[in-house]
Amino acid sequence: MASICSVLPALLCKFPAIDESTIRLARKTVDDGFKGFVRSYGNAIDTVVQPLQWFLNYLESLFVGSPWIVILALMIAVVYFGSRNIAITIGTALSMIFIGLVGLWNDTMITLAMVTVCTLISILIGIPIGILMARSDRVQAFVNPALDVMQTMPSFVYLIPVVMVFGIGKVPGLIAVVIYAVPPMIRLTNLGIRLVDKEVLEAADAFGSSGWQKLKNVQMPLALPTIMAGINQTIMMSLAMVVVASMIGVGGLGKNVLQAIANQFFTVGFLNGFALVGIAIIFDRTSQAFGKRLQKHSEVIHG
Amino acid sequence: MKKLLASTILAAGLYALAGSAQAAECGEVSIAEMNWASAGVAAQVDKFILENGYGCTVTLVTGDTMPTFASMNEKAQPDMAPELWVNAVRTPLDAAIKEGRLIEAAKILSEGGVEGWWIPKFLADAHPDIKTVQDALKHPELFPAPEDSSKAAVHNCPSGWNCQVSTANLYKALDAEKAGFLLVDTGSAAGLDGSIANAFEKKTGWLGYYWAPTAILGKYEMTRLSFGVDHDKAEWDACTAVPDCPAPKVNSYPVSDVFTVVTKSFADKASVAMDYVKARKWDNGTVNKVLAWMDQNQGTNEDAAKHFLAEFPDMWTQWVSPEVAEKVKAAL
Repeated sequence: MASICSVLPALLCKFPAIDESTIRLARKTVDDGFKGFVRSYGNAIDTVVQPLQWFLNYLESLFVGSPWIVILALMIAVVYFGSRNIAITIGTALSMIFIGLVGLWNDTMITLAMVTVCTLISILIGIPIGILMARSDRVQAFVNPALDVMQTMPSFVYLIPVVMVFGIGKVPGLIAVVIYAVPPMIRLTNLGIRLVDKEVLEAADAFGSSGWQKLKNVQMPLALPTIMAGINQTIMMSLAMVVVASMIGVGGLGKNVLQAIANQFFTVGFLNGFALVGIAIIFDRTSQAFGKRLQKHSEVIHG
Repeated sequence: MKKLLASTILAAGLYALAGSAQAAECGEVSIAEMNWASAGVAAQVDKFILENGYGCTVTLVTGDTMPTFASMNEKAQPDMAPELWVNAVRTPLDAAIKEGRLIEAAKILSEGGVEGWWIPKFLADAHPDIKTVQDALKHPELFPAPEDSSKAAVHNCPSGWNCQVSTANLYKALDAEKAGFLLVDTGSAAGLDGSIANAFEKKTGWLGYYWAPTAILGKYEMTRLSFGVDHDKAEWDACTAVPDCPAPKVNSYPVSDVFTVVTKSFADKASVAMDYVKARKWDNGTVNKVLAWMDQNQGTNEDAAKHFLAEFPDMWTQWVSPEVAEKVKAAL
């Protein structure tokens, strides 16, 4: 207690908080309400997300169950045709071979399946919302605070209710990862479109473009570098969240990282961490190179 | 203005002096507040009694069995772990005690910690034939796996805890895979608790590892299944608790020893409180009661500690001298 408080009235020194028992009652009411919700709708929600669960299970078993040589060849093909860049392709092959050699192939496949789905879902959700935000200031004012919450709310705060509703496993893991990874996608899509030059849009208007044509042929191509940065951020955040998703029963590299943390195995932790870094870099360089090829106007400078 | 400043500085100086005089009998100690309920409440009880009864200055640091023990062992920080499940760290702890770096104080859980495989009580009531783990394994249809309801599941304890090894070995020894059971890694304490909460709210079956005393068992009634054999310590140490043991046998979990462990520097700084630390112990029934109250009232660890001190004076006044007890009561 600072000595200044001995002379001031108590009201000014101790914040007049709401009575303890009232707060407790409020907490209890909210919790009981939530439990009631789970009891009444839990099974219905389960039925709704069942297809997603099947899809995730199927994809994981596909990645894990296929011969490694097939997966490796596929990856190399995808990376090459995506990026058309020999250096990136060779880098991919080497890092995947290294991952296999240190015995992390299966875990990496589980994580890869998870991250692939998470990234795709984030992009599918993020781009339309970003476009809507760019078209209306009101939507932007509404969505921005929501994004702030999604990015700063500690993930376990919403994971506890999510686990209560869905149980443990890949579905709640997916929800957790997407909540964290989708905001940069939305923000950067919005930003990219908003930064497109007004004069360019006026020219498009003068030629009588419809709204859809403007979006498709003018705004999106010009916003593409920013959108690609959004995709890159989404991938990075998905991979960072995979460890947290492992805390609610998603297997893969994250599980090993957790185990390494709990037992203080530095080497295991670093190996798994670097496997995650490897996947991240492969995803990122490929998508960036692909984006560059899509964008024939990369010399355009935003004014 | 100058005068005011000078008097403020003087007052602050006097205040600091008074503070240091009070703390002379007991220094600044740090206590590990572990991330499960019973240990969290114990840490808050210790904080309250040490601060108000012995005049220590207590800081609480968040902890977990392995990291906290490693830090106490290597760095002598924090000074005290009120509830350390020593089975997990037996070998390094014994070495540290022998070298005088750490001191084993009270056996805080006087009955020890109970571990095992549990099922919800409503399920045990509906199926009175399920008494042992082997009985449960005959009914894969009752225990759907979280990600694939066509399979059954045994919920393992979280990654990196040492119960993960023993549970996996028992799963292997019981041939649970042949019975159609997967071994599900729950990932973390939150995942394990969440899977139980999910099963209870939806009234589905659940089978897996858990331990007492815990808030979850205060909240959701569970029945512990017997393994049909007594605890065989030699087998446990040689195989059940060893990762990748080639041919594990069915075994029962030991009753875990749970001690308060303090560093040498705690004994030096807070020697006045050593008697308290050596005397403080409570039984699982009391802990479960306190945890159940905490859960019903959505209380924090601190609320639960104050509730315990207010409601169970007969117990805690035996841990301290009458004059200390007076001081603590006055502070409540």
